[in-house]
Amino acid sequence: MISEEVLRTHLQELRRGTVVVASLLALRQPGYGYALLQRLAGHGFPVDANTLYPLLRRLEEQGLLTSEWNTEESRPRKFYRTSADGETVLARLLDDLAAVQTSVTGLIEGADR
Amino acid sequence: MNTLTDRYLAATLRAVPAPRREEIATELRAAIEDMIDDRVGGGQDSATAEREVLTELGHPERLAARYADRRLQLIGPTYYLVWQQVLRRLLTTIPGAVGVIVGVVQATVGDNPGGAIGSGISVAFQTAVQITFWVTLSFAILERTNTSLTLPEWDVDKLPETPVERDIRLPDTCASVAMVLLTLAFLPWQHFRSWVRDTDGQRIPLLDPALWTSWLPVLAAVLLAGLVLEVVKYRTGRWTWPLVAVNALLDLAFAVPLIWLVLTDRLLNPDLVDRFGWLRDGNGLGVASRVTVVVVAAITLWDFVESVVKARRSATRVDA
Repeated sequence: MISEEVLRTHLQELRRGTVVVASLLALRQPGYGYALLQRLAGHGFPVDANTLYPLLRRLEEQGLLTSEWNTEESRPRKFYRTSADGETVLARLLDDLAAVQTSVTGLIEGADR
Repeated sequence: MNTLTDRYLAATLRAVPAPRREEIATELRAAIEDMIDDRVGGGQDSATAEREVLTELGHPERLAARYADRRLQLIGPTYYLVWQQVLRRLLTTIPGAVGVIVGVVQATVGDNPGGAIGSGISVAFQTAVQITFWVTLSFAILERTNTSLTLPEWDVDKLPETPVERDIRLPDTCASVAMVLLTLAFLPWQHFRSWVRDTDGQRIPLLDPALWTSWLPVLAAVLLAGLVLEVVKYRTGRWTWPLVAVNALLDLAFAVPLIWLVLTDRLLNPDLVDRFGWLRDGNGLGVASRVTVVVVAAITLWDFVESVVKARRSATRVDA
């Protein structure tokens, strides 16, 4: 029997890179930290808050996201949006994700034969 | 304002680089309040909600490290293997050697055979702790400053030949360099921090202070040249005949003056000899001199033979 621990580590490894893809995709529409967290969770990407917030800042530093402070609401919020560079990277990542899916499908079919 | 949230923010921001502190503070506070509001909207009381949200965010310093992209490890995978090798190599040689030397010195020069084993073990242990501390500290600093050591990349040629191993390996070189540095450090140490005291409690240098203006600089220069040789040898990767020749010359340049100084009774401080009856009277000094000469000659000869053997082995390997 495979232990829960082993299974969870593998799933985590599998999911790790997809958080960046999901964030870049979701932030085509500007959003702030917690709203993004909920949106991602709603689409089946549960992310820990303590992972997502630092990640957003890192993506911003890398120039993949731009940000703007919105002070009109009850509390000041930092809105992130995917930049042009972010779109370029996102396109490459999506291509690669599709390639992985194709390869996996190929392997599944190959193994069936 | 929420005291727990305030404390959490303060604890997190302390560990974040100052220029970004304020911005992260505003953003993180808003995020925490958003999360709390959401839970309160779901029917929780605000105190419980706050506790749960902060618990979910986890250890403040871990969160700060994620913001600052800082490592939560002393020595990471980049340097771990080199650190381990250097440490292993140094710890398997130096503490034992130092312990034996101190023990022997205690038993003979110190006239304290009873305490010799104890002080030998204690000094060996202290040496091991010191080596471990300084080596680890150096690598931890490298890790944090992201210094690139430009270590040679691993490749299949580095696989040890079975049973013959690569002749010159990094840990060997590091150990040799450390030995030379320790020897160099011994020179001023024995002068200023000698453990032998005269009847007034003044420290007596072990070596004749007159040598500072004559032979000690020469010996130190030879040791420094030995350091250069170690580096060249490492970069060459194996013993070559020119290296063997230079090594032999340096060995002789160190051993011959040393032996000569010992035989003419000019190495040890005359005050030190006066201090110890067994050295001063009878044949004590003569015996000690002869033992020293034999040991120095044996080490020199062994070093020479080892270099020749290794040079021949690598020469045949290159030819083959």
